[in-house]
Amino acid sequence: MFRIAIDGSLCSGFGDCADLAPDVFELDSHGKAALRRGETADPAVLDAVSACPMGAISVVEEDAA
Amino acid sequence: MTHDPTFWLLARASGLTAYVLLTLSVLAGLVVKSRPFGRAVKTASATDVHRYLAFLGLGMLALHGAALVLDRTVRISLAALFVPFAAGYRPAAVAAGVAAAELAALVAASFSLRRFIGNRNWRRLHWATYLVFLLGTVHGLAAGTDSSRPWAVALYLGAAGAVASATAWRALSRPVRPTRQRSA
Repeated sequence: MFRIAIDGSLCSGFGDCADLAPDVFELDSHGKAALRRGETADPAVLDAVSACPMGAISVVEEDAA
Repeated sequence: MTHDPTFWLLARASGLTAYVLLTLSVLAGLVVKSRPFGRAVKTASATDVHRYLAFLGLGMLALHGAALVLDRTVRISLAALFVPFAAGYRPAAVAAGVAAAELAALVAASFSLRRFIGNRNWRRLHWATYLVFLLGTVHGLAAGTDSSRPWAVALYLGAAGAVASATAWRALSRPVRPTRQRSA
């Protein structure tokens, strides 16, 4: 599982994350990235991490309990 | 009567400066995507530099246009700044510059219009930057009165070479995978 966090002070609302991993990220009414869920097994979040032009997304991989 | 060369000098200097700034902006934009410096350069910093250089470059373009209208060495009307082929001086070469500037302004404005046109279209429009660079280079070489100087040739060749190399790097590099931290 991947635990995901967005640094709201960095996010500028490019929206790449919402395009790459729409199950995890969405753009809120201010046009900034918001999490639809805090954890996911979908490796697409790693693409979102590397695509983010602001480096605002961090992911921690957790072993399944 | 000799005319005041101030605006003519300003027009040439601002045109060349705009070209340098916008080329650096393209390179910074490519750094954001391909990360040739790994973790040594923060993505957010590269993005900020990219946007700042683009903003400065567009400001310098505005100065370039204003100086050309005020200058009397070449006759460029206010209308000719915006309408391609309306200039009496080297119409095709100036048209390339007009088209490049308008396209560059559109690409820059599209960032603020993302919410209306969608992020995907905004990113697609960014590809037009390559056309801006091509038109801008042709414009500089063909319309610039300094283009035959060795330093100007070196500048245009260096800029084209740098953008081509950075683009090749971008095309060949794999997206960087984040370092995964493990926690129990």
